[in-house]
Amino acid sequence: MREKVLYITGVLGGLWLVRNLYVVLLVLPDEAAQGAVYRNLFFHVPAWATCFTAFLVAAGASIWYLVRSSPEADTLAVSCVEVGVAFTLVGLATGSIWARIIWGIWWTWDARLTWALITCLVYLGYLMLRRAIDDPTARARTAAVMCTFAYVSVMITYKSIEWWRTQHPGPVLSIRTGGGTIDKSMEAAVYSNIGAMLLIAAVMIAVRMRQETMQRQVDSLRRFVHSG
Amino acid sequence: MDQRNFTFLFYGFAAAWAILALYVLTLVSRERRIRTQIETLKRIVEDKERK
Amino acid sequence: MTGFLTIAAKDLRSELRTKESVNAALSFAVVILVLFSFAMDPTSEQMAEISGGLLWLDFAFAGALILNRSFARELPNDCLDTLVASPVSGAALFLGKALANFVMLLAVELISLPVFGILYGMDWTRRLPHLLAVLVLATWGITVIGTVFSALTVNLRLRELMLPTLIYPMMIPALMAAMRLTTLLISGEGVSGDDWIWFRLLAGFDIIFTALALGLVDFVLLG
Repeated sequence: MREKVLYITGVLGGLWLVRNLYVVLLVLPDEAAQGAVYRNLFFHVPAWATCFTAFLVAAGASIWYLVRSSPEADTLAVSCVEVGVAFTLVGLATGSIWARIIWGIWWTWDARLTWALITCLVYLGYLMLRRAIDDPTARARTAAVMCTFAYVSVMITYKSIEWWRTQHPGPVLSIRTGGGTIDKSMEAAVYSNIGAMLLIAAVMIAVRMRQETMQRQVDSLRRFVHSG
Repeated sequence: MDQRNFTFLFYGFAAAWAILALYVLTLVSRERRIRTQIETLKRIVEDKERK
Repeated sequence: MTGFLTIAAKDLRSELRTKESVNAALSFAVVILVLFSFAMDPTSEQMAEISGGLLWLDFAFAGALILNRSFARELPNDCLDTLVASPVSGAALFLGKALANFVMLLAVELISLPVFGILYGMDWTRRLPHLLAVLVLATWGITVIGTVFSALTVNLRLRELMLPTLIYPMMIPALMAAMRLTTLLISGEGVSGDDWIWFRLLAGFDIIFTALALGLVDFVLLG
């Protein structure tokens, strides 16, 4: 029953995203210089917002695990990181494709892009680390420590456009600039997409968590069965 | 809608959807793998009980 | 808290006897410098521009050899369990090991620099105090992260592979700052207004990760 609710929520999230796609493509005004490709923003920014949120939750879950040693915390952490990495890749891909048109290059080594790549690599390292440890308790603890370290890189990425002079566009949303830098309907669309992506991410995380719990139970059952 | 640079906008959206779809596929395959493991375990337990 | 000095002294003394880490790291560092001189014309203009990059990549890779051994040397005879169970606090154990690694890596760097100077015909002493400051700050950054992950990965089968893979992305900011500053200082220019941000980055990096490491040290060592 809970599975059905989960999948339906996921589909709803997908439909929301599709409806937003309609808005993004047909309703919103044009941007003066960039042509159609500026609409990439509406996937790019929400993807990064979603992934940073996922990594934040993962860091919180990791600290919770270190304090309480509860397996649910570890499950939450790995699910959030996996989904976060998926959205990071979306963010990197959409950014790179936008850059190919606007800057003429697929990649550049400015502060924000470099830090975004570092974030991606660090969390991929986290996933690799988990695979390398078989014992669940040791894996959970080691991964929790690494997740906390990794979150530092996320925070620096977020702040990087303020601390360094970068090629990447500066803050545009009103919560960071105080208003006036972006058309209201565009800003609403960005937030709407953030909501839709967060919903989809939440569903993916819930599904992944269920799978992780099932896998843990299967593993212990298997050990029990094979021991006689 | 201003149609300049539309192709790359399409690529961008396609990439975003493709990556998310890929991840959903990994979730699906993992689910299938776990179900197979459960089936195998059930069979082993039944065999043991019969003996 | 002087426990950490004892641990550091123990590691350094054991290293002095066997010289396993430092020899490996130093040979590796020098070999890379030599090999690279074949890859590029050592006397060219470009050499000055990439000197910082070359040196710090060299030190980072050599450092991984030292860091790998750091906790791995305690595995035989359950030495690691004994250390963790001893009255020495986790923080002291970590700091002691980090300090020993720091001294070893710094030694490798200080020997590699003259070799670099000779092979590539560069005078690296023009801004010596600043260069030494960069060496100290960046090496501590590398050491602190490397020691934490050395402890985390000590029990893994694929330790030698996992350790570099995990620490290099996190060391990138420190390495970037060190590379920029080193290139600047080796070419003889002073550190101008804009470039102080790299020093601040190094200092901030060191402080943040040392604090984080000390905060999480008990969880790291119980693994």
